[in-house]
Amino acid sequence: MEAISVEGVAKSYGNVRAVESLSLRVPAGQVVAVLGPNGAGKSTTVGMMLGLIEPDAGRVEVFGKTPAEAGAAGFVGAMLQNGELAPNLTVREVVGFVRGLYPDPMPLDEVLELADLTDLAKRRTGRLSGGQAQRVRFAMAIAGAPKVLVLDEPTAALDVESRRTFWAGMRAYAAHGRTILFATHHLEEADENADRVVVVARGRIVADGTPAEIKQRAGGRAVRFTLGGQPAAGLERLPAVTTVEVDGDVATLHTADPDTVVAALYGTGLTVRDLEITTPALEDAFLSLTAANR
Amino acid sequence: MLSYLHLELLQVLRNRQYLFFTLAVPVGFYLLWSSVFTGDRPDPVTGLAAPVDIMVSMASYGALGATLMTTGVRLAIERRSGWLRQLRVTPLRPGTVIVVKTLAAMSLGLPAVVLVGLASVVWQGVRLDLAQWIAITALLWLGTLPFAALGTMIGSLAGPDAAQPITVGAYFALAIGGGMWMPLSVLPQFVQDVAGWLPSTRFAELGRAVAAGHAPSATAGLVLTAWTLGLGALAVAAYRRASVTA
Repeated sequence: MEAISVEGVAKSYGNVRAVESLSLRVPAGQVVAVLGPNGAGKSTTVGMMLGLIEPDAGRVEVFGKTPAEAGAAGFVGAMLQNGELAPNLTVREVVGFVRGLYPDPMPLDEVLELADLTDLAKRRTGRLSGGQAQRVRFAMAIAGAPKVLVLDEPTAALDVESRRTFWAGMRAYAAHGRTILFATHHLEEADENADRVVVVARGRIVADGTPAEIKQRAGGRAVRFTLGGQPAAGLERLPAVTTVEVDGDVATLHTADPDTVVAALYGTGLTVRDLEITTPALEDAFLSLTAANR
Repeated sequence: MLSYLHLELLQVLRNRQYLFFTLAVPVGFYLLWSSVFTGDRPDPVTGLAAPVDIMVSMASYGALGATLMTTGVRLAIERRSGWLRQLRVTPLRPGTVIVVKTLAAMSLGLPAVVLVGLASVVWQGVRLDLAQWIAITALLWLGTLPFAALGTMIGSLAGPDAAQPITVGAYFALAIGGGMWMPLSVLPQFVQDVAGWLPSTRFAELGRAVAAGHAPSATAGLVLTAWTLGLGALAVAAYRRASVTA
């Protein structure tokens, strides 16, 4: 059964079309990243999945129910952007309260542990740093052990260390076979944490596939080494190589499969020095992908 | 639903502003006015001796304030802060939220009623039957319903910056017009003319009637019911609109 089914939804704000006939089906158990630049319509799409925003057209179902019904049934947990918490309640009170609203929640201590909040449980939420408050929002989202977890830019405003902790917690939660959909504008986050990446630009889906496929579509990877005066001829005939660039003494082989290229490269008898495999400017590649359907 | 009520009460009870404005101020004013306005001559409008009359006034004043502040100002703040939006993505429904908020607001008036009552007993030796105390407390709980509706309406329509002065304005206007600060008999004629139509006058009348030993008038019940229905309908419409766009 589909966990989330979005059928031709559209939403405009005045003259601005935030989302245009967007369709997306997420099978149960999948971890999906909705990737796109700011203003691509990610938050609007997420809002419609959660029943916070009423679509102008199309419909959204979560496990066969409307978003409001699914929410009331406790199927859904969500982490929104920028919500303040109740400042004079403690972390434990807030998370415990939200947990109690769900029919079959996780043990509270486990939730706090997973969100790295055990030491902060007695602190009032008004006295938390931005990153700590974000962890509380994550704890609120998972506390009820919902079947579907929806996260809108969960790591916005987090530092690198907090991000790492956050994704570790998220992956631990995902390991229980739950469906997770998160919006992000970081390609690395989508790549490292999702089974599937849906790229959204200007309110439409412009690409949909595994992280590897998306990266390949976004320009693949490059195998680079120093020729040291050796001839570059014939490199373009190596398996899996798409194009070859020679810049001075450095050869760059573009490919979707650097493993095969490197193996073949050592088979040529060339002396390979300074070998490096790069994912060329991910953010640039991602921009080119989202700009392609303009 | 009960857990949300608990959470709401906890949040307000931890708020020093609430404790000051809705508990310390009415009790303090009771101690002050009941010491200033002594004498046994009953008030010509209410027919109550000053210590009892002022007790009902200040209990009503505290309950009115607690109800308006915890609905109007808090709702506006929670709408802006995103807290209500976060609750929207839990199984808690907007309908439950507003029912619980109304109950919480009504109940948060009770401490003022009880404390002012206690102050009147301890400080001025006011003596009423137990049944009278219970009736006054119950009526000053139920009677806050139109004010909970008014507060909900303000909190749904205004942002936090505007909600504060609007709520305080409504609070003071209702308190003065309702004869809670000064007896109606000393206020200008035009205030006395409109007073009968105000929910706050009728709200205080509930307590005054019981304190005087008789049931509140049917008119008081009708005026309060009419305000409750009218403001309630507006509040529901305003809250619906606010929770769709929240």
